[in-house]
Amino acid sequence: MRFPRIAEKIRQLTLPSTDAKYMINRNPRNLELLRIAYKPDGYHLDKPGRSFWYKLEVNPSGRYVTAQVKHFESGPVVTASTSEWAIKKQLFKTKDTSAYVNLARVLAQRCLESGLIEMRCDITPNPNSKLDKFLRTLEENGLKLSEPERFEAPRPWNRHRPEKPWEVTE
Amino acid sequence: MLSIPINKFGRDFILKNQIPAIIQARLGHTLRGKAPGVARSIEQRLRDDNPVDEEVVKPVNIGFPKLRAPRSVELKERIKLEKQKRQNVELEKKATSNTLQIDLDQVRADSLKSNRQHQLVDLIHHFGIYKDLFGAAYFVPRVPLDIQFTISEDKALPVYFGNLISPTEASKPPKVQFDASTDIITGQKTNEQSFWTLIATNPDGHFSGEEKEYIHWFISNIPNGEVEKGEVIAPYIQPFPPKGLGYQRFIFILYKQNKKLDFTSYKVEKLNDLTKRTFSTHDFYKKYEADITPAGLAFFQSTWDKNITEFYHKVLGMKEPSYEYDFPKPFLRDPEWFPLRQPFNLYLDKHRDQKEVNKDYLKKVLATTHPFKGPEPPLKFPNAHPIRGVPSWLKTEIKKDRLKIGRINDY
Repeated sequence: MRFPRIAEKIRQLTLPSTDAKYMINRNPRNLELLRIAYKPDGYHLDKPGRSFWYKLEVNPSGRYVTAQVKHFESGPVVTASTSEWAIKKQLFKTKDTSAYVNLARVLAQRCLESGLIEMRCDITPNPNSKLDKFLRTLEENGLKLSEPERFEAPRPWNRHRPEKPWEVTE
Repeated sequence: MLSIPINKFGRDFILKNQIPAIIQARLGHTLRGKAPGVARSIEQRLRDDNPVDEEVVKPVNIGFPKLRAPRSVELKERIKLEKQKRQNVELEKKATSNTLQIDLDQVRADSLKSNRQHQLVDLIHHFGIYKDLFGAAYFVPRVPLDIQFTISEDKALPVYFGNLISPTEASKPPKVQFDASTDIITGQKTNEQSFWTLIATNPDGHFSGEEKEYIHWFISNIPNGEVEKGEVIAPYIQPFPPKGLGYQRFIFILYKQNKKLDFTSYKVEKLNDLTKRTFSTHDFYKKYEADITPAGLAFFQSTWDKNITEFYHKVLGMKEPSYEYDFPKPFLRDPEWFPLRQPFNLYLDKHRDQKEVNKDYLKKVLATTHPFKGPEPPLKFPNAHPIRGVPSWLKTEIKKDRLKIGRINDY
């Protein structure tokens, strides 16, 4: 450690206080839903940046299309591909527009089944292309292709006190 | 010696002639650490700094294996279907006119029998369920569970893999169905008598603060998948996530029993007996390891809602707890004797004891609050009232308080 005294000072600031009663929520996804989880900043010259909890990726191969929702730590969490027999079985072709649209419907269903509603998307499709229709179908089926900002606790000397996302009901 | 005439400029002149070279130096740029490419990346450094013992974390599969049909048989079937599709004019028309809508329920049912099972293992790892319930063990959810909370006559909310369901929606026991007539390993239909155990558990909300779970539902010896005929060990209790704690996981696990088993030591007589409901899946599985095998899993996430307050008071008979996330306190540099270019009042407030600041503000509030009439009404035009006879820093502070800027918001 280069600055042991400062490291010790930071450790002291994060220690639980002795006069409070604590309860620990072990759900690793809880803080992301409350918007206070750590989100990497990345470097400002990175393009595309790395600042996300979940990110949508679409990888077309020669014959199939695969869409994934990636978590910044766990990697691919939800996957759907036209190479899956369950999907391919009902499609006429595995890489045409209707394949893209139907893949989006399956991916949206799988995301909603896991409570993933918001994710980052760095894809900029050409208007009216297959990808464009893919993204539009995702939005029509209830996904949001942007992530909220991370909530940071206001310091006592800050000007404003932003609303706490978990206290907003309806 | 050099034959240079010494004039009145003397030394200067000689030195300039002696050192004609221009030294090129890039001041202000030095490479700190190793060069890029040689130095480790942030990923490599994090990996090296947090080593994991492969032996300790090696995952153990405690679930059922599955036999696959021979590839040749599968392929034959698939090629046949592909050929049929090629000749299907209607399907082609739909696909080319972009009106083809595949049956999502069918896709769901098909994929849950095949590759989606392994995708789900990753997803369940991502939700930390295997780690919190079984430690280093995992299993592939081979039996799809159909769990539905009835909301109204024609509306039901299914439990999938982490969807959000409010405690009010989950107030009544759900309808559970699963296919017990198919052999898990071979995938063939069987008529054998089978017994199952269904457990719903919450690992995120034990009031003791320890790493324990509350069991929400426990039905054992379910004969041939008929849940209603099972033995109720713990009656269903709805989720009761406390205020401020966020989203908790409620996990349904289906075990297949080798034989009829006796779980009376886990019996919960009273609905609200939380000490009896304290549970550990890890210990439970260790105890019955030889006789039960996990076969299915589904879970949802739930957070506090308005109706929970009444549930705490009436059913659990306790005061409703309320929690707040404990953010780390702000980091401050060590105080200096002479902090230059710092407004003295703000600087001192940062370094004062927080209790003293609170006391000051409370005093201020109490001074303007009438014991019977209550606090003074807020000013209609806060900037229109002149402040005279005070130093400028105090003027700013008074203005900030009137406009509700800064610390005043905390009191």
